[in-house]
Amino acid sequence: MAEPQIVVRHLSKTYRVPEREAGLVASLKSLARRSYRDVEAVRDISFTVERGEVVGFIGPNGAGKTTTLKMLAGLLYPTAGEARVAGFVPWKRQADYLQRISMVLGNKSQMLWDIPPLDTFHVLGEIYGVTPAALERTLDELIELLEMRELLAKPVRNLSLGERMKCELVAGLLHRPQVLFLDEPTLGLDVSMQGRLRRFLAEYNRRHGVTAILTSHYMADVVALCPRVILIHHGQLLYDGELNGLARRLAPFKLIRLTLRNGQTKTDWRLPPGVDVVECQNGQMTLRVPRAEAPSVTAHLLNALPVADLAVEDPPIEAVIDQIYQEGNL
Amino acid sequence: MNLRGGWALIKSMWLSWMQHRGFFFLLAFGWMVPPLIYLLVWSTAAGGGTVGGFTRGQFVAYYLVLILVNQLTYSQTNWTVGDVIRIGDLNPWLLRPLSPLYHALASEVAGKVVYMAFVVPVSAVLALVLRPELHVTPRDGLAFVPALALAWGLRFFWGYWLALLAFWATRADALLAVQDALVFLLAGQVAPVALLPGAMRGLATALPFRYMLGFPVEVLTGQLGAAELLSGFAWQVGWLALAVTLSALVWRLGLRRYAAVGG
Repeated sequence: MAEPQIVVRHLSKTYRVPEREAGLVASLKSLARRSYRDVEAVRDISFTVERGEVVGFIGPNGAGKTTTLKMLAGLLYPTAGEARVAGFVPWKRQADYLQRISMVLGNKSQMLWDIPPLDTFHVLGEIYGVTPAALERTLDELIELLEMRELLAKPVRNLSLGERMKCELVAGLLHRPQVLFLDEPTLGLDVSMQGRLRRFLAEYNRRHGVTAILTSHYMADVVALCPRVILIHHGQLLYDGELNGLARRLAPFKLIRLTLRNGQTKTDWRLPPGVDVVECQNGQMTLRVPRAEAPSVTAHLLNALPVADLAVEDPPIEAVIDQIYQEGNL
Repeated sequence: MNLRGGWALIKSMWLSWMQHRGFFFLLAFGWMVPPLIYLLVWSTAAGGGTVGGFTRGQFVAYYLVLILVNQLTYSQTNWTVGDVIRIGDLNPWLLRPLSPLYHALASEVAGKVVYMAFVVPVSAVLALVLRPELHVTPRDGLAFVPALALAWGLRFFWGYWLALLAFWATRADALLAVQDALVFLLAGQVAPVALLPGAMRGLATALPFRYMLGFPVEVLTGQLGAAELLSGFAWQVGWLALAVTLSALVWRLGLRRYAAVGG
């Protein structure tokens, strides 16, 4: 069987950061003697990603997501552990490796500021040794998918954030990388632009089967693109599996939304044990029910009350994630 | 070596620089001013006679050539290398299958073309007005070309290794200001090296700075005999070899540190 596209074993990264207090005296002291602090950004992480898989990296700010991506893209040496991506050790930064990957950073641009995007695309084509015919073909496809033909002739500095992000994606995909690292690609974009980029990435992956790791703080990105998520917190891997599984594991509850006939709200009936009212307004009630008891409670409600509408739902993923970020464990 | 990519980068950099040619013309003008001042000072001092063996017309010729050579060898790129490292703009460069040195070289070449578009016509007008006295022998004309190329290489790589110290010290570009000051004093700007007092002349001969600027000017204006010409080339090549070695070494160590502490 072929090796997975990305193999990460016991990867760790410890930064040594200089430390000093604010102020002039402290800065003079640090001239003579610097004190350092070790920051364990990534601790003993292991996982594999199969060819064509899209994996979402989630975790709060400072969790170690970007550090991990940077190690996989070859920008950082790990302190310990090993990784192979597309058969290469990333931090050796061999040209053949760089040719096979791409990293798109939501907060860093690789476009040349003063000239139209099309010029940058051609330069990148040359740098990656793409033949003119292949470059035209790829450009046509990407420009079509992103609906951005009218942007090509404007200098990059005159483009909006969302338009620039489209350009970043084209720039990152021109050489047809097999592995894609996307670090916050939708950062700062409005809802409809986020949606458009998501649809683009989904379609691109469907067509070309690239392997991708995506970090994002917008759960909608992750829900739309990543059947599998890896949750990192304080540099450690807390969860690796289906996104739905995370919700199940984390929130052993279901939500029942209930609307009664005539818009009435009942408050005087006895709730079964373990069931709480979460919300009660405008004639709609939301109950929290242990997962296993959801069917029996639902049946009971339908029998006992004049129900106009009833829905059983999982708690919203944002609430689940927030709970982990706050508590720091599963 | 990815020559195809490097060349494309140079072209694109040139395109982006042409967007700001007014700015670069002003920079080029700023760099012309100090040698112009010394041109006027020395040619006035010479008057109808000579100073240190230079006539008025020879001073004019010396400084007009110096203005051109200064512009062709000055490495403005190195001033931005430190920023690129500090701000983290190095990351996109490191992600590409192309040595980041190409980025520096691309802006060097692009810059030279833009500056020359300003400096050459201005120098030509000055030459018409100030009537330089310049008789170039075939030997000096031929020797000038490699002397100029080596001077550029030395000035670029010497500044490059200093700029790369930004991997360790956040404001390493202060060292570039020191380099500029030493070039000003010892490389024939404030006065031709031949006119410097004894100890300073010795210093100018042994340190790298004269070989970044003054040496090719002395070659073209016929100040050097065969022996001086050869020893000058020897110094120039020696210092260039050291500068390239240091650049490669500092780059390797710096990159290791960058990858250790994070961009």
